Amino acid sequence: MTAPVLEGRKEVAARPRRRPRRRTNDRLVGWLLVTPAVAYFAVFLLYPALSALYYSFTDWNLRSAASWVGLANYSDLLFNDVKYPHFWKSVQVTLQYTLIAVPLTMVAALVQALLVNSIRRGANLFRLLLFLPVVTAEAAVGAIWRWLYDPQYGLINSVLGLVGIPGQNWLNTPELVIPALAFISAWQCGISMIIYLAGLKGIPGTIREAAIIDGAGPWQRFWRVIVPMLRPTTFYLLVTGVIAALQVFGLVYVIFSGSGRSVTGGPEQSGLSYVLHLYLFAFRYDAMGAACAMSFILLIFIMIITALQFRFVKQEAS
Amino acid sequence: MSRVVVRGAAVAVLVAGLAACGGGGQGSGNEKTLTFWMYQDRTPQAGQVIEKVRKDFEKANPGVTVKLVKIPKDDYNTKLGGAVASKSAPDAGILDQPLVSKYALDGTIKEVPAGLIDESAFYKGALDTNRAGGKLYGLPADQTCVALFYNKKLVPTPPKTWEEMKATAARVHQADANVAGMNVPKGDGYGAWMFPGVVHGAGGQMVDDAGKKVLFDQPPAVEALQLWVDLLKSSPRKITDSDKPFENGLAAMTISGPWDVPTIHEQFPDLDFGVAPLPYKTEAAGNIGGEDSVVFSTSKNADLAWKWLVFLTDAQNNGVIADAFGGFPVNLKAQVVASGPEQAAFLEQLKVAHARPAVPQWIQVNDEIIAPALESALTGKATAQQALTDAAGKTRSLLGWTG
Repeated sequence: MTAPVLEGRKEVAARPRRRPRRRTNDRLVGWLLVTPAVAYFAVFLLYPALSALYYSFTDWNLRSAASWVGLANYSDLLFNDVKYPHFWKSVQVTLQYTLIAVPLTMVAALVQALLVNSIRRGANLFRLLLFLPVVTAEAAVGAIWRWLYDPQYGLINSVLGLVGIPGQNWLNTPELVIPALAFISAWQCGISMIIYLAGLKGIPGTIREAAIIDGAGPWQRFWRVIVPMLRPTTFYLLVTGVIAALQVFGLVYVIFSGSGRSVTGGPEQSGLSYVLHLYLFAFRYDAMGAACAMSFILLIFIMIITALQFRFVKQEAS
Repeated sequence: MSRVVVRGAAVAVLVAGLAACGGGGQGSGNEKTLTFWMYQDRTPQAGQVIEKVRKDFEKANPGVTVKLVKIPKDDYNTKLGGAVASKSAPDAGILDQPLVSKYALDGTIKEVPAGLIDESAFYKGALDTNRAGGKLYGLPADQTCVALFYNKKLVPTPPKTWEEMKATAARVHQADANVAGMNVPKGDGYGAWMFPGVVHGAGGQMVDDAGKKVLFDQPPAVEALQLWVDLLKSSPRKITDSDKPFENGLAAMTISGPWDVPTIHEQFPDLDFGVAPLPYKTEAAGNIGGEDSVVFSTSKNADLAWKWLVFLTDAQNNGVIADAFGGFPVNLKAQVVASGPEQAAFLEQLKVAHARPAVPQWIQVNDEIIAPALESALTGKATAQQALTDAAGKTRSLLGWTG
């Protein structure tokens, strides 16, 4: 943010006839402009993050003074299954969720974007309808999907029944919980859909025409033209999607809490996502130090995963 | 630039100083302000009741202002934790029962001064929820419990014992395979919270009174878990996992609390249901919930704060206060406001209600160890004995107990 201002200053310096007074003013204006952003960053992001880093090396219950324990939180989380019996379970749940939800969301988004892009009339209306799940309050999403997945009255089971598939107890069968949650996240793919749509609009019409002249059918055009041209978009959605999926919290929280349900993460901890586990330790089990350590383990993990993606996934359009 | 910052800071300090002067009048002389944190009002009427009690207290104590800070229940523990961490805790406040022992043992709340109350004037179960290490750290504000809800069409007379309960459930499910006999609690945090009441019904305990020995691997607890496992035969999850199975007539019996009675009457007016004390094996028993009130160690008006808490729990006020909080009085002499045939069963149940173990990490044990153990038995992955023996071992390791 400071860059343009500094350049401006250089320009001023290059013209010796200007009064020096102006230089101070520019600097002042520059600082004034960046102050809100810098202050926000420092107070609400940097300071809490650094405090969390400090507390991750302490035993702290929010009430008594924090006592320094060094790396004990980290080693206990990773190796002590008496203190943290479900830590690795939460890692497993989160990885499973990410592996299913991210591809499912991206495919759903691409399909929706292609459909919206291909229709001539009412594209705005469909775009709006497909985007609605994103702006719906998470609590309402939870209520709606609990109802859709209901083993007795659920719409999902009724539809499956029409094609002869027996009804399932979706949110209460450990093996089905993650796919069921991933499906909800795919339903909420509106933002990815908009980004794909922008990517599709960015493909020059000439390329498509050239492909048609060369005799490429719709299928070939999709695989040979659209998919390669969308690669930067896909890469962006993959990286941001994986980061978001590894931090999934709101969805599991609303699905497995409320009206007498407890927040312990669904049947047999099958929906105990990493961040839900972290939240429970921070605010329910009074172990803020361990919760902070969990957040830094997650940070490191996300950094590694993201770096690997940058290294091994193709990013350029071709 | 730094000059600007200094000037800005000076202005800010000045403004803050003026504001402090404006509000500072109350601190001087005999004027005192008491801050009390509580849950948000359940209904506007409840808010009026509390407001009246507040005014009565101010009238009886000239110069005192009671400031009530109302916070949504879901955010309450988080906000309170934050306030304590940032040294801005109120003088006194409501505290969730399982948090009392935690807050007591790390010195966040004050011990009840000797001679403040006559302990025999209170329901024992409710008062016991304020104990930690044998000492009293708060006063109960109201109490509540769970009892058996039964559908009168399917269950004409409610079962009194476990055997009757199993027989009733089996009969209902046999008559109509689409109806479950009982909405069996699940192996989650809520189910684990209800479980001790059933264990007490077989004459057992989760941990010993001293809070040093795990007892939930003993026969009473195993039998209690076996009861739930047995009930599943006539109560398939596929039916009871549906939304509101009892209300929709798909489960003949369920366990719930007084808070559900008005909701069911309002939303399901056609459902003909009754409430009875929980069935038991050897002795009538149940577990207790509700709100406790405590004084924080940082309070500068502790004496006044205790006076206010006593005021809330005395024979005259506790009836209306408890009703406003959605529970029952904790003072034996207080008038019960709630009426209706259902209330009698809850009052009956409260007489035999037990406080949950006063172990600081109990919520964690409840969620992370007991709940999964219940679930593994209920899904048939382990026998009741195996599941609880395993859980007891984990609990001993976690808490560092030998017994």
